[in-house]
Amino acid sequence: MVSPILIIALGLGTAFLLGFLKDSQRGLAWLVTLAALAGMSGVSGTWLWALAEGTAQPMDVWTAGTPPPFAINLRMALPEAALTLLISLTGLLSALSLRDALLARGRRAMAVLLVISMALCGVVLTRDVFNLFVFFELIVIATGGLVLLSEDHRAVAAGFKYMVVAQFISIFLLLGIIFAYHATGSLNLDDMTHAGLLGHPVGAIAFFMLFIALVAELKPFPANGWALDIYESAHPGFSALFSAATGAAALFAVDKLLLVGGETWLPVATGIGLVTFVAANLLALPQTHDRRLLGYSSVAQTGLVLVVLGQRDILGDQTYYIAGGILLAHAVAKAGLYWLSGLVRERHLEAWAILRNSPLLVFAFATFLALLTGLPPFPGFYAKWDLIHLLAGEGRLWLLGLILLGALVESGYLFRWFGYIIKRQAPASESLEPNAWQVIPVLVAAAMSWALAWLWGDLSGHGNLLLVLPLIFALAFLFLDDLPAWLKNSLAIAGLLAWFGLTYELYDPLRLIFAAIFLPGGALVLLASYHAHGSRTGFYPSAMLMYAGLAMLILARTSFEFFAAWELLTIGSYFLILRGKESEPHALSYLLFSLGGAFLILAGFALAAQGQADMAMAALAQVAEPLAPWVFLLLAVGFMTKTAAIGLHIWLPGAHAEAETDVSPLVSGILLKAGLYGLFVLLMAMGSQTLYGLNLTHAMLWIGAITALVGNLLAVFQEDAKRLLAYSSIGQMGYALFGLAMMNHLGWLMALMFVINHYVYKSMLFLSVGGIAKRTGTRLMYRMGGLITLMPLSFIAVLIGIIAISGVPPLSGFGGRWIFYNAILDSEARLPIIILFLAGPIAFLYLFRLIHTIFLGQLKDELRQIREAPFWIVMPQMIFVAILLVVAVVPGLVLRRVDAYITQFFPQGALNWEGLTITSQYGWWNPVAIMIIVGVIFMSIFAWLLFVNRKAQKVKQFNIVFSAERPYRPETTHHAWNFFAPYRKALGFLTVPLVTLFWNGVTDTLHAGADFVRRFYTGNGQTYAFHFIIFVLAVWGLAMGARA
Amino acid sequence: MTDFDWMKIPYALLTVFIVVNFGMLLGAFIQKIGARVGRRHGIPIWQYYADLIKNYGLRTSITHGAMFYLGPVFRLTGGVGLLLFVPTIYGSYMFSNFSFAGDLILALYFVFFGTLGMALGDGESGHPNAAIGITRGLSQVTAAELPFALAVFAVALQYQTLSVTDIVAAQQGGMHNWTLFTNPLAVAAAMLGFLGSMMRPPFDVVIAPQEIPIGPPTEYHSSYLALMQTNRAIFPIAKIVIYMNLFFGGAASWPVFFLKVFALYMVSVIVGVVFPRFRVEQSIRWFLIWALPIGVLAILWV
Amino acid sequence: MIVQVALATGFVLILIGIYGALTQRNLLRMIVAFTVANSGVNLVIVAVGYLPGRTAPILDATVPAAEAAARIIDPVPQALVLTAIVIGLGVTALMLAFAYKLYEKRRSLDIARFSELKW
Repeated sequence: MVSPILIIALGLGTAFLLGFLKDSQRGLAWLVTLAALAGMSGVSGTWLWALAEGTAQPMDVWTAGTPPPFAINLRMALPEAALTLLISLTGLLSALSLRDALLARGRRAMAVLLVISMALCGVVLTRDVFNLFVFFELIVIATGGLVLLSEDHRAVAAGFKYMVVAQFISIFLLLGIIFAYHATGSLNLDDMTHAGLLGHPVGAIAFFMLFIALVAELKPFPANGWALDIYESAHPGFSALFSAATGAAALFAVDKLLLVGGETWLPVATGIGLVTFVAANLLALPQTHDRRLLGYSSVAQTGLVLVVLGQRDILGDQTYYIAGGILLAHAVAKAGLYWLSGLVRERHLEAWAILRNSPLLVFAFATFLALLTGLPPFPGFYAKWDLIHLLAGEGRLWLLGLILLGALVESGYLFRWFGYIIKRQAPASESLEPNAWQVIPVLVAAAMSWALAWLWGDLSGHGNLLLVLPLIFALAFLFLDDLPAWLKNSLAIAGLLAWFGLTYELYDPLRLIFAAIFLPGGALVLLASYHAHGSRTGFYPSAMLMYAGLAMLILARTSFEFFAAWELLTIGSYFLILRGKESEPHALSYLLFSLGGAFLILAGFALAAQGQADMAMAALAQVAEPLAPWVFLLLAVGFMTKTAAIGLHIWLPGAHAEAETDVSPLVSGILLKAGLYGLFVLLMAMGSQTLYGLNLTHAMLWIGAITALVGNLLAVFQEDAKRLLAYSSIGQMGYALFGLAMMNHLGWLMALMFVINHYVYKSMLFLSVGGIAKRTGTRLMYRMGGLITLMPLSFIAVLIGIIAISGVPPLSGFGGRWIFYNAILDSEARLPIIILFLAGPIAFLYLFRLIHTIFLGQLKDELRQIREAPFWIVMPQMIFVAILLVVAVVPGLVLRRVDAYITQFFPQGALNWEGLTITSQYGWWNPVAIMIIVGVIFMSIFAWLLFVNRKAQKVKQFNIVFSAERPYRPETTHHAWNFFAPYRKALGFLTVPLVTLFWNGVTDTLHAGADFVRRFYTGNGQTYAFHFIIFVLAVWGLAMGARA
Repeated sequence: MTDFDWMKIPYALLTVFIVVNFGMLLGAFIQKIGARVGRRHGIPIWQYYADLIKNYGLRTSITHGAMFYLGPVFRLTGGVGLLLFVPTIYGSYMFSNFSFAGDLILALYFVFFGTLGMALGDGESGHPNAAIGITRGLSQVTAAELPFALAVFAVALQYQTLSVTDIVAAQQGGMHNWTLFTNPLAVAAAMLGFLGSMMRPPFDVVIAPQEIPIGPPTEYHSSYLALMQTNRAIFPIAKIVIYMNLFFGGAASWPVFFLKVFALYMVSVIVGVVFPRFRVEQSIRWFLIWALPIGVLAILWV
Repeated sequence: MIVQVALATGFVLILIGIYGALTQRNLLRMIVAFTVANSGVNLVIVAVGYLPGRTAPILDATVPAAEAAARIIDPVPQALVLTAIVIGLGVTALMLAFAYKLYEKRRSLDIARFSELKW
């Protein structure tokens, strides 16, 4: 093995050698620089490989041939190897990104770049505090130099501010070093540990000074104004280095020091990290400047890693896996994003919309985002999972909560940005001129991201997500994205069906129903996607990601698998929803609610696992008091965000309504069932729980009932057909939730009936309405009317659909109602039942409105020429119609086995399926007889009418008279707008959007608060210095407090 | 709960025949009572037959489209079905109709079959007044159905069954066993809801029978209207049958049946001739404020 | 005694420097303040390493290597100070260069005027 000192030597030596080149040989100098950085990477890389493979042992290098304290020693072990590789690779790629600036400034600038890379590696390698000081000062000087590479003239001021603070830091560092030396007689960190630095009279103060100086390099809140200014103004190539490499090196330095400080200083580190993480994320909210935003995010991520380092006492051996996962994810992503920002000319976030011209860059951006927010399958996901579990196991719940809160805020502003990229209009001045030197680093970073995902999955104890077949299948669509849509659609359908066939044996009857909806059901809905032309970039990876999540969800045996699947389906559906024309804010609100819910689920699992890294889903049943009700609460609320229970429902209408025609049925008909599945699993395992005397399933009963009422009521007043259906879904999910929460046999059967029915009719109706909206160019129902003759098949679908939803016999909705009545007879909770009674008839109002204002009434002039919806949109609807009719006649086909399955949970109340009549304890119901009787009566009367009315003459549209006139304008004749005016007069007051106001209030408060607080970064270098002093005093207070 | 046999069909037709005739006569009779209260002479008792024959005989007939054509068919199917899904005469195999097909819940939900079809058919006429009438009707019915639904649930809870026959059986053995006396709150709530569904004042703005035509009758004429009139004869009675069975001990023979149906009908008539008309939002509020709480109490009280 | 005086002087210089850097708005005065503080730091380092009654850590005829450990003061702090002075020089030079560039642009040395980057 080559000596690690070669890393330092290569950097330093080449920097000197560059001086021998002529100033005119800039291209050569640049190549030499690259070669040196590549050499440094190579040395680190071989060490990393050897150490990881076990072919080399960690080694100490004695620089002067003697052991410490008489000479400086460097150490090369696994973390050092990884970090030096990170640093030198970042340096190498930044050298590419900085190419133009470096060539313009010549060899001196390149030497400075080499020096900073070398110094950063030095910080990582050295075990000597004074050597640390020297390397840090080199970093300061080099940073000062590299900041000037920027075209932004404000960078000069930023550099000066940095040096002001750096001076303060170096004063503390030097004083700390000399006193530590005085106390222990050595400058070596390990010697200090052995000598018990903190035990010495001046040891504590010495340690504090060292600590504060090194922590200040992490840009902790509030002493970080200088860093933000640099991030904002420096060349992005340098900012990448500053964020990824400097941050990583400084963190490692702090980590080394924390080992000296022992357990007493860990809480202080945690505190600083946590405050920084939360505050920086909050302050990032109102940012509009891209690089400054990334700066805030960098600060926050560094803070999070510091928290992890501060939790070493409980993380133990896991510390480096977790901290490394977060740190590397952050470093790669942040470097990638900074390099990417070099391709965008203007500095506000919307300007990034230009990236849309290149799917590859959008993919890179999405990768970085997923990396930063810790989504599966990236390292942050595994790290977050383990971290949260260990924290929960030790009962550090406040910490856990704040970390998740900060992460949620971070996802908020990052995904808002992603929404801008996908949806906003790039300014006219922007144009994407991919410059290879700037694109290569981005792509390398993206590739590294996936490599890290593989590595962390491989190292994790939970199995590698990248080896899970459904996910591989979904990711494969990334490579197929240029194929025509019909081909990908066929592949997708084949994949879903094949997976269902493969796994068919594995499902119990309950899971089989969900599997049938997710897989063949999904394939059925995908038929509608055949109508799309072109290659439909981005649709299939997203859709298949969602399906992969769903497929993994029902097969999940452990909480980790469950959660990973949950996150995958969330992110996939987010991308899908975002595809809608106007869906940007709605997709964001969907994602935030979903992630918030997912975090609750994560917390619930972590709490339940009690320090285990993972647990079988079935083990939820063994969670004991007093923890069980809390676990239940967290999981239930998490799942209820997905089913859009009242209070958490505001994301749904926009998300479902604004999604594309064939996406709405996916996210409504199919995706909503994931939440119900979660609730099923939860209730099956944990049953009823009581918290402070409150029966939680009883509370769910109330929530379900109120959700049903509010959803139905709001649906009545919608003018937009898809929003109407979306609110209707909220109501339907309320019913299903209610059924589950009843905790009796028939309640569950009813919930399942809703699962099946809702899938069928909501998918069908969304397709119909979507097809109509496609033809008419609007979703506003009052702009339609009289379409029955032009779109008869769509009409039939809607007709069957609304009969089914409303529960009118003879269609399948009635079965649900019948089971519902039988179920509530078994229930003691009367008041919530009354609310559900209130909700019931309201459904008729919106359903009638839906069909009347679209298909009946007066046809508009501009719509006279439209045709039936496209074949591929109508075809699945007709299949759904057939399914509804079949299920209406033989509901036992699907329900019978489930009924038997539920018996193991609730032996009482099973139905009797003998013969054609379905019998309960209270009543009976014979779907076949009903269908025949109704059919015979109907046909007889129809025949009679045909006979007496055989000469009926078909008249034209305006063959009516009212108000003594024959109307001629359909617009004024079609009664559609504010359809239920009297109802609004009577009950409109119930539709005040209190929940929306509440959540808007929350986000507005966060924004306004952050906008106010961030003003303390006045931009004055002296103020920043004051912040540093305040920070020092605060940490001193904290440390004293922690010790007391 | 007996299973099907073919004899049920002629028996069911007999039920329909009796009820149609009774309904026609009752309708005219009640209209006459209403007229007499207003010191008018009123229509002859056979007027409904005359109307029906005239309408079936009319030769002018137009259609606005398929759904328009089917609307009255849905309507009458709803009425006939509702009648036949509930046993008419307690204890009689002959008049137990098709109650083997389902229980009380089936009847409750089948009410909407006709309403929905009718509304759809009428909507296709394109006449705004038709649509306005329907929106009013639907708005009002959602409020008016509530107390009734709650009362039904209270009764089902009380007797622990959804079988109409069993509920009637439980009320046998004297008037004091009627739900009216065993569960007065439920009956009170149901009767207030009843007022709302009988298309009489104060809740008849939905069809506004005296002024401009509104709602379903707007565009329907000739044989369509005849079908609807047939339904008008059956439907209120079918509905009253449910009330009678649930709350007033049912009927073990046709005379009792006629008497009870008439008496119940008269409740809405008496209220109707005494009180002026509500606007729709007023009636919604009225049901929610006065009738609904009684229904809630009925459920909590059971 | 001399150690205490040197230490105290060093700390006073540091405090003066910090005070100056925080209160003087002129860039050059701030830089001067930092050099004062740096001198204070260097003084403290030397003072900490000083042992009364011993000689300079130079091994020659008067101080044979064998007795060195007992007769010389600790050489490490002195080495540190030398390094710190060199680095301090570099940083100061760089800061002065920055100040010059800033002045060039704005014709002002007031630090409060260079606050376009904020929030």
